[in-house]
Amino acid sequence: MNQAVISCLHANLPAVEAVLKDIELQGITNITCLGDLVGYGPQPNEVIELIRDKEIPTCQGCWDEDVVDGLDACDCSYPSQLAEKRGHFAHQWTTDKLTTENKDYLANLPYSIRKDKCLFVHGSPNSQHEYLLPDMDAFAALERVENARAEILFCGHTHQPYIRELADGSIAVKIKNAVPKDTQEKEIQLPMRRIVNAGSVGEPRHGGTKATYVVYNDVTNEVKIREVEYDIELTCKAIIDAGLPPIFAWRLKNGFEFAEQAEDASHVCER
Amino acid sequence: MIERWALVSGLKGDLDTYELIQKDLKKTPGNITLFVLGDMIGPEKNCNRLLHRLINPKSNDLQPWCIYGWWEEQILLESGYRGDQRAEALRINKGEEVVKSLTNAVDKSFLDWIAALQFGFVELDCGLIHGSSKDVGENLTLDTPPLTLLDRLTRLQVNRLFTARSKQQFHLELTEGIVNSEVEDLNGNRKKEQKVPQKAVIGIGAGKNYTLYDVGTDNTQFVQAGYKTEKRIKGFGRLSF
Repeated sequence: MNQAVISCLHANLPAVEAVLKDIELQGITNITCLGDLVGYGPQPNEVIELIRDKEIPTCQGCWDEDVVDGLDACDCSYPSQLAEKRGHFAHQWTTDKLTTENKDYLANLPYSIRKDKCLFVHGSPNSQHEYLLPDMDAFAALERVENARAEILFCGHTHQPYIRELADGSIAVKIKNAVPKDTQEKEIQLPMRRIVNAGSVGEPRHGGTKATYVVYNDVTNEVKIREVEYDIELTCKAIIDAGLPPIFAWRLKNGFEFAEQAEDASHVCER
Repeated sequence: MIERWALVSGLKGDLDTYELIQKDLKKTPGNITLFVLGDMIGPEKNCNRLLHRLINPKSNDLQPWCIYGWWEEQILLESGYRGDQRAEALRINKGEEVVKSLTNAVDKSFLDWIAALQFGFVELDCGLIHGSSKDVGENLTLDTPPLTLLDRLTRLQVNRLFTARSKQQFHLELTEGIVNSEVEDLNGNRKKEQKVPQKAVIGIGAGKNYTLYDVGTDNTQFVQAGYKTEKRIKGFGRLSF
């Protein structure tokens, strides 16, 4: 059966509506959301209410957590002080706009959702702030999936959709000063695991302007990345009208790939 | 001259053991650097004399280079050095009495010194920590999955990781590793075979059991203070692969 996985909606209502329409047109009713319903975008309450109305199971993203618990991400998550300042402004704006009911909804979202062999998280099983980038160390990536006791890990946070298969792995170990000698060496075969990043519905950073999500078939194990056009102008106008930083609109319109991404994106904020 | 590291942990206020180790090391050939990888304190005995000695070494003592361990983390938590958090894990697992014993075992005048200790040292291509690069309380042992060990090495970007938390003494080498990665994204597909060079995780022991590491030859010697007997690990023991 096909199921859709969406992530990083970022209060971009036209993009969310377009993606949900695309999912509906394929006859898919099983949808999982990986969080970041809010942040950067101009319609946080509307997006939360749409997800709530449709009863879409959702993990808590880093923005969802921060809006509820206060800023968690330090400046290490931002490429510059200016970007951090804009991020903090958007955080405060979102906090002011959200209704109490919607804040409670975000506060009670789970960190992860498990369905059989699949684990759904926002960033990584370790942290909502950790970026699992497509080309990160393969052993470290495999460790994230294996230690989470999953076969397929669905994540978001990077805003770049990808499917990564880690296979045919092994590690040979030896106790250096062991006795007796016949038990001192072993080779461990590593299991095949996959990481699927759903990209971003509301703030794509893959070099284009289309919203992205993924469709997973749990029978064939096939995963497809979907790109969806939406009315970008409508979102951009709403960003400007709301008084949010105009660069948020500019980068949506231009598909600015590296917006607001830290230099060392694999760094985990310790705050 | 041979360069050696002496790696000590888990003294938990035991000045007698520390003095025994210092005495051993004076007889050990080579240029020795002494690292104390945490748990200098504990709830069992008064730790003030040991802490004073670590901070103010005697003239003929080897200078100790200390980092904080799990027990130091607990007292810092309980004393308000970690914001609003308290030593709840200790309180739940060991009870209020142990929390009180710990705070009574260390004079408050030492807390600033403890709070200034580092999480670990990186020397050459080696990481020296109490638990793991993920958490000061994480036990790394011979039973820890190699993939996890490799991840903890990768996090610190080191080739050897010296750890103390498990109290065990072992020298486990990851001699070879390989994994095939295939990424599909909007730009297409790319495949990569990733290999890892030889790496190692070394458990240094605790209390009287400490480790000597020969920097030039990458050899470890497991020592018991006062006996200086090399202790060999007996195969994989309980390991099940």
